[in-house]
Amino acid sequence: MTTNTSTQKEPTKTLTVAQRARGVSQWSIAWRRFKKNRAALAGLVLVGVVIFMAVFSPIIARYPPNQLPGFRTGEIRVPPSLKYLFGTDIIGHDVFSQVVYGASSALYVGFGAAAIAMGLAVLIGLVSGYYGGIVDNILMRITEIFLVIPFLLILLVFLRVSFTLVPSGVSGLSVVTLMIGLFSWAFNARIIRGEVLRVKQYEYIEASKSLGASNTRIIFRHILPNVLHVIIVLTTLQIASAILTEAAVSYLGFGDPNSITWGQQLQSANSAVREAWWEGIFPGFFITWLVLGFSLLGNGLRDALDPRLRE
Amino acid sequence: MANELLRIENLKTYFYTWAGVVKAVDGVSLKINEGETLGLVGESGSGKSVTALSILGIVPIPGKIIGGKILYRGENLLDKKENEMQKIRGKEIAYIFQDPATSLNPVFNIASQLVEVIRQHQNVTKREALEKAIELLRVVEIPDPEVKIWNYPHQLSGGMKQRMAVARALSCQPNLLLADEPTTALDVTIQAQILDLLKNLKQKLGMAMVLITHDMGVVAGVADRITVLYAGRVCESASTRTIFYNPMHPYTRALLEAVPSLALRREKLKVIPGAIPNLIEPPSGCRFHPRCEYAKEGVCTLKVPELEELEPDHYVACVRAQEIEAKSPLRNESK
Repeated sequence: MTTNTSTQKEPTKTLTVAQRARGVSQWSIAWRRFKKNRAALAGLVLVGVVIFMAVFSPIIARYPPNQLPGFRTGEIRVPPSLKYLFGTDIIGHDVFSQVVYGASSALYVGFGAAAIAMGLAVLIGLVSGYYGGIVDNILMRITEIFLVIPFLLILLVFLRVSFTLVPSGVSGLSVVTLMIGLFSWAFNARIIRGEVLRVKQYEYIEASKSLGASNTRIIFRHILPNVLHVIIVLTTLQIASAILTEAAVSYLGFGDPNSITWGQQLQSANSAVREAWWEGIFPGFFITWLVLGFSLLGNGLRDALDPRLRE
Repeated sequence: MANELLRIENLKTYFYTWAGVVKAVDGVSLKINEGETLGLVGESGSGKSVTALSILGIVPIPGKIIGGKILYRGENLLDKKENEMQKIRGKEIAYIFQDPATSLNPVFNIASQLVEVIRQHQNVTKREALEKAIELLRVVEIPDPEVKIWNYPHQLSGGMKQRMAVARALSCQPNLLLADEPTTALDVTIQAQILDLLKNLKQKLGMAMVLITHDMGVVAGVADRITVLYAGRVCESASTRTIFYNPMHPYTRALLEAVPSLALRREKLKVIPGAIPNLIEPPSGCRFHPRCEYAKEGVCTLKVPELEELEPDHYVACVRAQEIEAKSPLRNESK
């Protein structure tokens, strides 16, 4: 892709901007289609709000992270008011501030775990699909092992174990992110492999081979861009599922207790669902908000990028 | 006499499928001189494309070259390592595919596809490569090359795409161009244009060309020599003139009779009965005998015909070629 854009940037001098604009890339077509899709745009807005929350959290939040404004004044588990927009929790946290800080954790886990999972999935999918034969066989059997083990259960076990092994200084949230990433690539790898199998048989792959391209070049320059639309969609959905998984893990008490995450807040709210509904409702609402945002975005991207759905 | 550029000796390329071993190319021999155009003719499944892919060593899995020699300027390409072959592909020998709609990568514009190939084989900067690419588009007669080069394949018509594919194949001035049915996917009018283009380019650049086709009409105007393949073997090989005016192999004759012709004014077009045989278990003896109107039990069914030089520079693989020649009522009919 880099070569592509850089060649476009240095056209010969005789070209005017208008003339160059005649080359309509698939990306601009996809964007045009995406813009027409209201649900996808709504997803973009939902995600955008959370990103805004994460970036400007020190400004939006009323108290610094982990401060207990209600502790000294005895305002513990007070319902939402103008002073505490979302109320306070059992030890006097301002729930609103904590929810705002939770945004960056959620995005960190989402993007981090998705990056790890998709990195593995893309590599395994490309190699497996392109080379086929014995390589494919071995990689796909490994993938199947990861597919059949109960994901959440094994994740909890590994988290328990790995927390005892991590050196101090590494944040617990990173461990959770890494673990989620390491255990959620398999499904994506299979889809990408399938897509590679489809693309591999096109004549332009044979054509570039006939013009002297090496295997690595064909994989990364010709096949990867042609399966990129699938990778983008899967990544978006993977982000959503990683955020959800982190919330689940934290809710079950296996997350990192020192991070401010929506899942942790849900867990602490669990003890008093009836008395202090605001403790759980707001973090839960934002988990739903963000996951819904990424899901809508993913579906919108799929509709925009899938070449088979061209109008 | 022109110098020999490529010689294939007894090439065997088999496909190891679940159903059995498909002998797609089974003992093909042919040669191409420098600057010459060879027409490789045969029905679908006769091994034309596999022969060409074998030359470049890019036979798709589960195909494998199991025997023979491919001598390019005296060097056997089958002995070359993969990285040596990568330097030959595109630079010495280039390939044009049948369907331009799928042989160009849809996600890149033409410029980057041409620049990629040029920079693969030549040590030039991006800007120089781009200038070369535009020059190439001019060579393949594309109007407004400076504009069209920024187009993506889906913005171009079929004929235009094939011109782009030709430009890409020619980007490093290969000595040999393998054109695999370059006009089959195109309209008739565009076909003629592309053929003319190939013919002119070949003369301009002095390269040799193998034109693979099932259409006798296509090779007639372009090829210097014709080699007819059937079921993975060579039937007949001679100059274009000889093939058209004095075909000696019954299969070549049958092919010629199946071409619609204004001159002959036949009521009904002749067809060759049956289909190309199953190449997992090909017919015994001459592979054409089940469909051949001259086949003789006990001769054609048993003896595998060898390619023999029956007339000067006219090679035929038919046991009965000389007997039936005298009898054939079709001889010289098309003159």
